[in-house]
This record gives sequence, structure tokens and C-alpha cells, in this order.
Amino acid sequence: MVTQKIDIKKPLEILSRGDDSKLETNMNACVKCGLCAESCMYYLAFKEAQYVPGAKAELVSSIYRRYNTLAGKVAPALFNAKELNQEMAEKMVDMLFGACTMCGRCVKHCSIGVDIPYIVRKGREMLAAMNMVPATLQSTVDAALNTGNNMAIPQEEFIDTIKWMEEELIDEMEDVNARIPLDETDKSVFYTLNPREPKFFPLSISAIAKVFYAAKESWTISSKYYDVTNYGFFNGNNDQAAQIAGYLHDEIHKLRGKKLVLGECGHGSRATRWEGPGYLKKKFDFETITVVEVIASYIREGKITLDKSLNSSKVTIHDPCNLVRNGGLYSEIRFVVKSSVSDLQEMNPYGEDNFCCGGGGGALAMSEYNERRIKIGAIKAQQIAKSGAKVVITPCHNCVDQLQQLNHTYKLGVKIMTIAEIVADALVINKQ
Amino acid sequence: MAKLEIEGRVFDVDGDGFLSDPSEWNEEVAALIAKSDGIDQLNEKHWAILKIIRDNFEKEGNAPMIRKICQETGIKLREIYDLFPLGPARGACRVAGLPKPDGCV
Ligand code: SF4
Ligand code: SF4
Repeated sequence: MVTQKIDIKKPLEILSRGDDSKLETNMNACVKCGLCAESCMYYLAFKEAQYVPGAKAELVSSIYRRYNTLAGKVAPALFNAKELNQEMAEKMVDMLFGACTMCGRCVKHCSIGVDIPYIVRKGREMLAAMNMVPATLQSTVDAALNTGNNMAIPQEEFIDTIKWMEEELIDEMEDVNARIPLDETDKSVFYTLNPREPKFFPLSISAIAKVFYAAKESWTISSKYYDVTNYGFFNGNNDQAAQIAGYLHDEIHKLRGKKLVLGECGHGSRATRWEGPGYLKKKFDFETITVVEVIASYIREGKITLDKSLNSSKVTIHDPCNLVRNGGLYSEIRFVVKSSVSDLQEMNPYGEDNFCCGGGGGALAMSEYNERRIKIGAIKAQQIAKSGAKVVITPCHNCVDQLQQLNHTYKLGVKIMTIAEIVADALVINKQ
Repeated sequence: MAKLEIEGRVFDVDGDGFLSDPSEWNEEVAALIAKSDGIDQLNEKHWAILKIIRDNFEKEGNAPMIRKICQETGIKLREIYDLFPLGPARGACRVAGLPKPDGCV
């Protein structure tokens, strides 16, 4: 094996800043009980010790010990303290990028609640500092940095797509007020999208436009900065994450929007709502809320009327990790879905204990690990099959894509839908 | 680099099964990739969609917007999803021999 000299100064600094007590306590807490093993889809699918969540975190902790503790410096072998070298860095890429969706299920099953994905994210930061982010993931980040959206859609093409969806909506509603307003100022809702919607799957855009129309919402979409995703959360480069978070932050100010409404995207909601102020080092002076909560408020306040009988197939819910286990939206999602469908069958397990779709943590963008992603997805596929549902609802476009692929690979014969789509199908429009 | 074998033919592909070398593509290759996705016979509509994707890739270096595909072929959006069950990206673009698009697809 060729051993290249790698620059370990920057990555090691990430572990020795001394101002991150959360990191240090979590790295020192694991008692190696192994209880987390069975909670992880990778371990369940491959049954190899390297996939145990604690073992992934240990990669980072062992480096920490080697350079930051006396015991690790004098007797590394005794304390499993490891040097950061090329071989170790490659192992980290494989395990921390290629074998962890940062779903957080292990945290709930760890006997003492070690925040494993937090440590994994730090490991990714170290790898980003060494320029070792998998190429496909970095290319998605670069597209967002350079063009404002992660699919590099030119602005004119975006505008043409929105105009096209608007014409269809006006026809369907037979009302010229059924609009999809672009770049309008002083609106109460500044809405965001996953770029895969305008590029390939725009029906979810018409669906949400229909809901906003029915609720008589005052809303707009920016034609330049509408991307709700932030793959900087996954690649571990905080400067890039901050730059991407800054796009939405600045654009809502420019258009003087009141509320930043996050489209259906798990990691994007988390990266914007919870991590965004940290990346940008400032408190947001506008409200930030997910579209699921906005729809729930329309139902509660009677702003929209739904007829459940319009959705009579058996449905199940896939809970996106970053919205439910790590985002607190369990009840809001149930409330909206139960208001829109007549037959809901939960998966087992579900809610906070749900399994990841298998495509989280940036996995969907990383072709390098495609095979693993489909293999761990078998667990999700079985859950769906057992539910007996004909429709799977999930408020995350990333999950939608992974589920779509599982649907095809494992021949599930189900339909995958977003929340906006299922709500739009249940809408009773009162013609004004 | 991964390999994809269909009916005795072997192609270099990325981890997601997209051709590593888009210039290796021709109509016969398209038919083979389609088969591996469960589309036994590419019909006129499939070809119309593939042609636009391929032309766009050759001119612009990327996949066209779904709007362009719909408006230039006259095929309805929902029908495109039926024609390529894996969707425009993992389905149609892969059959058209493009590299995998970035993002959540
Ligand atoms: S965060 Fe999820 S994928 Fe990562 S180790 Fe924990 S359970 Fe496994
Ligand atoms: S369950 Fe927690 S303490 Fe036990 S091995 Fe896993 S991470 Fe360590």
C-alpha cells in the first residue's frame, strides 16, 4: 500500500479546540456495551463489527485520545489510541461518509445516549479539512455554492417551469388568481423547494400552490434562491454550509418576507432551522417553520377544508429522521395525514424509533456507496410491505427518491407521495 | 469503478449504474439499460423522451428540465413517470446514457 503523507494539522485542531464540551463528553462517554449495534441499519444488514455505531464513533475518539490525553500519548496501544494517517483517514471516509446516514436511531438505543451522529459529523469535518469528501457529494455542494441550487438549474429555466405549473393550475382551478408568485415582496410566506421538484418532479409544486391558494395565503418563491437543501450539513465543511445558509437568509431580507417556510426536506429543515443560525453566527430575525406545521395550522384554523374520503387507499407514513426523531414533528405529521386520509396503518417501528429510509446523511448523492444504500434499504422495504399500505407518505424529497428506488428494486408496488400532494388531493375548494 | 453486465455486454458505470463514458451510448445500449430496469421494449414515446434528453446533454452538458421534455414531446407529465418507473433521473437519464445528475436524485 502506498502511504501518502497527509496534512493532519487542520483535522486534529477540530478535536483540540477545547470549546466543544458536547464533543468531548460524548467522545469520552461510550462504555462499549454494544447495545447500539442492533439499532443501526448498516449493522443489521451486514452484521460486521465495523458497522456498530459505537465503533464508528470510536474511530474519531481513538484519534482524540492519541493526541489529547496523556494515557493515549504514552501508551496508545493500551488505550486504543490511534494515529491519524492515510489508512485511518480512508477508513473514516468509508465508515463516516459511506456507512452512516446520521439518522440518530442509535442515540435512542445507546444505554447512555451518546450522540454518535454528532461525533460522525465531527469526523466528516476532519475529512473535509483534508479534502477527502467523496466527489459526488462535493459536486452537489459545489453546484449549490456556484449557482444557488444543488442541481445548477439556470434561473430562466426555473422561471419557465414555474410559469408552466402556474398556467396548469389556473386552468385546473378556472381562476386567474390561482398563481405561483415569483419574487414578490412583503409576502407573509417565503417558500422554499428542493431543486429536484422544478427539475424533474414539479407536481409537488402545483400541490403546495393549490394548498396556498385554498388557504388564501400571501406567498412567494424567489426565482434565484429557493433551495431548501444544504449539503454543507453533510460534507462537513462549515464555511460552505454557512455560505449556503446565507443565500436563503439574505434573500428573505431582500424580498422582505415574514416567514421562511421550509419545503418538504428533512436535512434542509434541520440545517436551516437548527444549524443555520449557528453557521451564520446570528439569530434569525424572521420566523422559520416547516410547511407541515403551516398546513397543520390551516387545518386547525379552518382555512382549508379536507375530505378524507378522497384518499381512501391504505396509507403509511415514513418519518424522516431529521423531522421526527431529530425535529419534533411527530404529532404535526400525524395530525395532517389523519386529516387527509381515511385509512392509516403505521409501520413497525415508527415515529421517533422509525428506521431511516437508507438515503440520509448525503447517501443518496454518493454513488460510491449506492450498493450499501440499497442493501440497508431492504429493512425499510420490509417495513413498508408488512404495513400492507398502497401509499407511503413522507414529507422529504430525499426520502421520496430513496423510497422510489426501493419500491422498484423490491417490487413493493406502492405509490410514494409528499404531504402537500396528499393534502392537495383531499382539498375541497370553495369557489369564491 | 463498477461494472454493469446486461445480456453478456459489460459496461463501466458509476455506483448508481450510470454509464461512466456517455460516448459509449447508442440505441442498442439504451435498449439494454432499459431492459435491466424492466422496460422490455422501448416504444415511440420512450424514444422521443430519450432523444430530447440526449440532444440537451450533447448541447448543454446536462439533463433537460422536465418541462422541456413535456413541452417538446407533448407527453403528459404523469405519463412520463409511467413510461420510466424510476423517474426522469434514475430512469430516463440513465437509459439515455447521461452521468447521474447531482442532488436528491
Ligand atoms: S446515526 Fe444511524 S446510520 Fe449512523 S451509526 Fe447511528 S444508527 Fe447507524
Ligand atoms: S450503546 Fe452507547 S455506550 Fe454502548 S457501545 Fe453503543 S455508543 Fe457505546
